[in-house]
Amino acid sequence: MSKKTNAKELPAKLTSFSSLILLCLWAGSAGCRSPAQSDRPSGYLVIAIESSPTHLDPRYATDANSARIGALIFNSLMRTDGHSRLRPDLAERWEAVDERTYLFHLRKGITFHDGKALTAADVRYTYESVLEPKNRSPKRGALRFLNSVEQVSPYEVRFQLAAPFAPFFESLTLGIVPGDATGDGSAGGSRLIGSGPFSLVEFSSAERVVLKANPSYWEGAPRLPGVVFKIIPDAIVRALEFRKGTIDFLQNDLEPDMLPWLRRNTGASILNQQGTTFQYLGMNLDHPVLKRREVRQALGRAIDRDAIIRHILKGLAIPATGLLSPQHWAYEPSVAGLNYNPQQAKQLLDMAGFPDPDGDGPLPRFRLSYKTTNLDLSKRIAEALKEQLGRVGIELEVRTYEWGTFYGDIQKGNFHLYSLRWVGVADPDIYHNLFHSGSIPPNGNNRGRYRNQEIDQLLDQGRQSMRPEERGRTYSRVQQILAVDLPYIPLWWWKNVVVMNPTIEGFMPYPDGELISLKQVSFTSSRPAK
Amino acid sequence: MGDRVSVFVGTMILLLLAAVALVAPVISPHSPTQQNLERDLLPSSKEHPLGTDKLGRDLLSRTLYGARISLLVGISTVTISSLIGLLIGSLSGYFGGWVDQLLMRLVDTLMAFPGILLAIAFTAVLGPGLNHVVLALCLIGWTGYARLVRGEILALREREFVRAAQALGGTPARIILLHMLPNLLPPLLIQGTFGMAAAIIAEGSLSFLGLGVQPPTPSWGSMLNEGRQFLLVAPHLTTYPGLAIMITVLGLNLVGDGLRDRLEKRGK
Amino acid sequence: MKRFLLQRLLLFFPTLLGVVTVVFLLVHVVPGDPVEAMLGETASSADKATLRQELGLDQPLWTQYRRFLAGLALGDLGRSLYERGTVTELILTRLPATLELTVAAMGIALLLAFPLGILAAAKSHSWIDRFSLLFSLLGLAMPNFWLGPLLMIVFSIELGWLPVSGRGGFTHLILPSLTLGTAMAAILTRMIRSSLLDVIHENYIQTARAKGLSERRVWLKHALRNSLLSVITILGLQFGALLAGSIIAESIFSWPGIGRLTLQAIQTRDYPLVEGCVLLIAISYLAVNLITDILYRVVDPRITYGR
Repeated sequence: MSKKTNAKELPAKLTSFSSLILLCLWAGSAGCRSPAQSDRPSGYLVIAIESSPTHLDPRYATDANSARIGALIFNSLMRTDGHSRLRPDLAERWEAVDERTYLFHLRKGITFHDGKALTAADVRYTYESVLEPKNRSPKRGALRFLNSVEQVSPYEVRFQLAAPFAPFFESLTLGIVPGDATGDGSAGGSRLIGSGPFSLVEFSSAERVVLKANPSYWEGAPRLPGVVFKIIPDAIVRALEFRKGTIDFLQNDLEPDMLPWLRRNTGASILNQQGTTFQYLGMNLDHPVLKRREVRQALGRAIDRDAIIRHILKGLAIPATGLLSPQHWAYEPSVAGLNYNPQQAKQLLDMAGFPDPDGDGPLPRFRLSYKTTNLDLSKRIAEALKEQLGRVGIELEVRTYEWGTFYGDIQKGNFHLYSLRWVGVADPDIYHNLFHSGSIPPNGNNRGRYRNQEIDQLLDQGRQSMRPEERGRTYSRVQQILAVDLPYIPLWWWKNVVVMNPTIEGFMPYPDGELISLKQVSFTSSRPAK
Repeated sequence: MGDRVSVFVGTMILLLLAAVALVAPVISPHSPTQQNLERDLLPSSKEHPLGTDKLGRDLLSRTLYGARISLLVGISTVTISSLIGLLIGSLSGYFGGWVDQLLMRLVDTLMAFPGILLAIAFTAVLGPGLNHVVLALCLIGWTGYARLVRGEILALREREFVRAAQALGGTPARIILLHMLPNLLPPLLIQGTFGMAAAIIAEGSLSFLGLGVQPPTPSWGSMLNEGRQFLLVAPHLTTYPGLAIMITVLGLNLVGDGLRDRLEKRGK
Repeated sequence: MKRFLLQRLLLFFPTLLGVVTVVFLLVHVVPGDPVEAMLGETASSADKATLRQELGLDQPLWTQYRRFLAGLALGDLGRSLYERGTVTELILTRLPATLELTVAAMGIALLLAFPLGILAAAKSHSWIDRFSLLFSLLGLAMPNFWLGPLLMIVFSIELGWLPVSGRGGFTHLILPSLTLGTAMAAILTRMIRSSLLDVIHENYIQTARAKGLSERRVWLKHALRNSLLSVITILGLQFGALLAGSIIAESIFSWPGIGRLTLQAIQTRDYPLVEGCVLLIAISYLAVNLITDILYRVVDPRITYGR
């Protein structure tokens, strides 16, 4: 590299010129952003969410954020209450003509956000567009037993099933879109029109979703002028924004240790109640060690859930007995939970033929790998599990992966142990998707490759019966068997935690995290405008 | 005068760190992986001079052991990268012509590559772990050395002693290794110190993306990332590993800067 | 010069092709299935198979590659598998944000580095010099994901001067670009300082002094020119690091840019989007390289390439 330069003016001019350009570009581009876009519209409630909803169109929404925000924009024939029971929404009443035919009577006078009336034609259109293979809707699989949707009259819809299929009822929570909506949920997403308490104003997929109140909502206009969902990926930043006052509301996705900090440093109202999100330990039942039921039972007793919940989760979960949480209508209370009992765990392992080769020494009975994603909390839980299982002589090798690889491995059966959660458990038919021998991936989510004939029969029965009491009995039996067989080891049900500005009133948390009660929320008069 | 002090102080720091890394098992008060869930996020105390982390593990011990991992990552990355860079760069610079063009295109292609994609691909296909982190960092890092070596050789090629050696009929390998290498070593060394600092920091960034060392192995980068969640409630989790990284980078930079200043002076 | 330029431009495209091919292979070889991400967990395997077929994902790799290249030649980058819209639309929507951030970061780096570097060299071994060393150290050794939240706590919460995160007006740009730019500022400061120090004893500087030019003129006009080459080199070399750093900075500051988009695309195995983003990153990197090389030649025509 030469040290001397020629005595030319050019390089110096070049430098000053280019720095001038840079400065102009910078100031110019920053100045181009209209201030209105970053300020919040006055009186609007601002909620921070961790990731962008993928599709707000209910026919394509698969993730929790899309579903929860969609529920504010769209109505459906029925909706679920806190016990996962269905309640009427757009449908005033309904009757079962026979086991395969159902007639719904729609409320009159409901309009979409553009003023057009909501009629049976829109309901039919919505369901038919989901059934249409060309539209590639992910909800199509759930509707495969639906033969037809007919408009009997402007306010009556008849559903015809190919065979009795209980999970059909769950599909009644599908949001209804206007009959002139586009066929696919892609481009033009910002023109989404629904009939719900809020209408969609803006959806910039990396930044925010803006909803405005619907003054002609049939249950009465919401008291909030609107809601902004701000997308903030980092948990610390969400807490800081809340502290600064630019965010009014946070639900879940919090580092458990931040709650005391939030309590001390902001005047937040913090609500926490039992939730339905189920965290479990999944096992590969094709693995020679894990296929032994005693081993799984030993694992279940070697885990000290209480310690993890108390210290790592800071009390934000409740030890679980099974997939369905106690608020669920089909929950079977007589199923006993797994207690922490390392002594018994060791005995079970001995009985299963895996003695500890050197008593309390460092040699393990066997080694298993535990795959997890690279979320900090998941890693911490993994390390705690490793330590706990180590105490009974099982050596756990923790391996972290980024999500795509992790999920691919799980589906392919390329794992020994992993832990994940199920969010939004609604119809108990989910058991069919998880534990039926016909649901092994790619045909379902029976990732553990669990095969049990009695369970298969019960699950088939459960989906064919249309009567809740009958189904209740079936699924009770299912829960009892699974508590002994342990294809999953239940860990805990996450609590639903809501952190909100104390001037917010009227919010009712739902166990599954639904935000639908925002339609009743308002700010008290002492709220400062920001 | 100043640069001699720089090099001295820097080298002292590095030697101290190396010593700490070596004797970490002996001087650590506790095991770095011993959990104690009830004693989490404790501040400094007699029993835990730097406090404990979220799983109740002693922070001092983890920081001391972390020296081993971080220094290992730094040294191995730099060694392997510079060797590859030396090879490619000398071939490119010495022979010139289409060899040069081809290799430089290769370098450009690799440099235009988002390193993270490579890192994800690696850990996805080969599995996670320290070795693969080093491998990924090497694959991203060797290009800088190649360019440096090429540049130096381009300059050296025209020098008299090289021409003389060529006239005497030396093979390219001999010429490069025997005559050019001594001139290449100083810049390589300097680049190496900065590269090592960069590797240690890059390890932290990879941890942020979830691609670093596996739990429960302590490395300063992953400790920094783990502690990040607790920045508001337990800042000591990030402060100490961060300080450790900064001291190491300081040492490396002092050595690199000092050497570079001395080199420039000698070249006059 | 012209021949050099032509040569480089001609090589631009094969290199680009090389990058794109490697990415294509890499992304397809890595385990993970985009169809799963698209259809969610309740879809039937028949639907998944149909989707795979429609997207051409069940074709042999070579066929997919040819299709991809054909589309590329026409300027069609395809549709994103996971997000709504075409890849081109998505990238164009998010590009301005990253440009804004990167340019601002470079601007801050230059604004910080020049004064500090010059002062450090002018008063070398004084407390200013030591301070600049400390500043360099902090800038280099503090990862974005630590520095960012710290800056937020100090400037946004404690002092209340600036917003915490998100893109908006001028104030929103300060913390993210400061976070992103400090590493580059640190390197530039040291570089400017050392290249100024190299030169200060040179003959032509003594001559300038003897001629009676003011000390400031000596420094600014003559000595600084020498450091130009190094600054250009650093800007060019560090541009890649800036792009990589933007991935982290954009996640921390909720900045709607390409970095975040690329990360998300990789995680969901959104093949067309990954390829589009990498193409963009590669083009910018190669372009910056080319500009750097050109500037090199402009500043010092004595540097030759090849034989």
